[in-house]
Amino acid sequence: MKLLKSFFSFTFPIIVMLVMFSIYLVVTKVVNNYKTNITNDYAIVVIANTPLSAIDTLAGIEVKDIEPLSREKIIKSVKDNLSDTSIDLLQKKLPYFYKIYLADFPTTLTLEKIRKELMTISNIDKVETFSNDHNKLYSLLILVQNIIFILFAAVLLLSVLLLSKQIKIWFFEHNDRITIIQLHGGSLLYSSIPIIKVMVMSSFFSSIMSSIILFVVISNIHFIVEPEIMTLIPSVLSMELEIAQIFLLSLIIPFITFFGLLVKYKLK
Amino acid sequence: MILAKNLTLSYDNKKNIIENVNFRIKAKEFIFISGSSGSGKSTLLKSFYGELPVSRGNLFVNKYDLLKKDYGKLLALRKDLGIVFQDYKLIQDYTIEENIMLPLKVHKYADDVSKQQVKKLLKHVKLSHKVGAYPAELSGGEQQRVAVARALAHNPSIIFADEPTGNLDDYSSDMIWTLLKNANEHLGITVVVVTHRIPKDLGIKFRRFNIEEGVVYEAS
Repeated sequence: MKLLKSFFSFTFPIIVMLVMFSIYLVVTKVVNNYKTNITNDYAIVVIANTPLSAIDTLAGIEVKDIEPLSREKIIKSVKDNLSDTSIDLLQKKLPYFYKIYLADFPTTLTLEKIRKELMTISNIDKVETFSNDHNKLYSLLILVQNIIFILFAAVLLLSVLLLSKQIKIWFFEHNDRITIIQLHGGSLLYSSIPIIKVMVMSSFFSSIMSSIILFVVISNIHFIVEPEIMTLIPSVLSMELEIAQIFLLSLIIPFITFFGLLVKYKLK
Repeated sequence: MILAKNLTLSYDNKKNIIENVNFRIKAKEFIFISGSSGSGKSTLLKSFYGELPVSRGNLFVNKYDLLKKDYGKLLALRKDLGIVFQDYKLIQDYTIEENIMLPLKVHKYADDVSKQQVKKLLKHVKLSHKVGAYPAELSGGEQQRVAVARALAHNPSIIFADEPTGNLDDYSSDMIWTLLKNANEHLGITVVVVTHRIPKDLGIKFRRFNIEEGVVYEAS
């Protein structure tokens, strides 16, 4: 019973932390998926008085494509109402229109930087970033992602505190053995091998539990979220990489806590 | 091998238990440290393997200066020592075999070599039949024999024994003294024993230090 209690005192904070991390990973995946979709549709329109030369990056974002808008099409659309002289004049005076596609979806602030950067190019007369229509839902998703990250960081901190408390209890419980091994020349790390073994087992158990929880949630996501929100969620949520990250985190955090305590004991 | 120069020992730098003492113990010697209860015999022995820090002066064991607080070097020194404690200090959830194997594991001996050595030692201390038993299943005398076997397992250069026969019956006491005597006589191991009861017929040459009121002097 005591052993079980001690085991769960260690695994519970890890599981909570990993579940929170899984939520963060899922939200990040949804946001990234949505971002890819809107990035493909989004373009900045630029009006220039001479042909535009190549632009590689704007405010640190790679320029994916610069697509010139056909001047003939524009003239054709207004041609019926104009005389031949006016059309000639229009052909001479009509500026060059371009659609700039970016590799990444910019934030509102970045958009303003991009606009300013484009306006520094001498032949550009006007820039239309459509900042008013700039995606509000994306901003909201980013906000949710940030909130979840803050929550995850708080849970992580709390978990580290609980884990360190449990590791201290284990050190206390194994004090006799640790002392005897050290008196025979064994290092603190060597004498702590039984603690490390329990820790690795607990971490494995926690990562398996968290992966199961994540798998169940993903498999039944259509029962959990509203149908409108389902459109935001990638149709195939493959979680192999996320499960690997969960597994790594379940080992890294207890080990960092353990080695932190080991250093503390060693300094003592 | 062991050199004390103006050595002073105290707990938490309060009252000095051992004060300003000087002595030298050479390799392969058999030494008794005696004195009345509370005189500081065990305190002095603890300082030899760094369980108690040196307050002032110098204490060298196998050329390692115990005044220096070098954790790595202290562990290296301890690897070369065998220690027998009055309360045996056996790991309760290790079998007898695992307990004796402990210094060999610290020394990273191969498993088969370790097992062979344990077998030999258990035969020597007449406990071969207890190889898989746990310390709680053994009498005090048997536990102390296991502790001596553990101290001998890795052929240390020095054995420190703190009241090794303090709680034992005559049969177990005799066996412990024989083991320590043989270790000194046949293996050339320096033996330092803290005791208030020096055996009368040990049959080997030894020196005796007595501690009185914090002063260590060699008794004739």
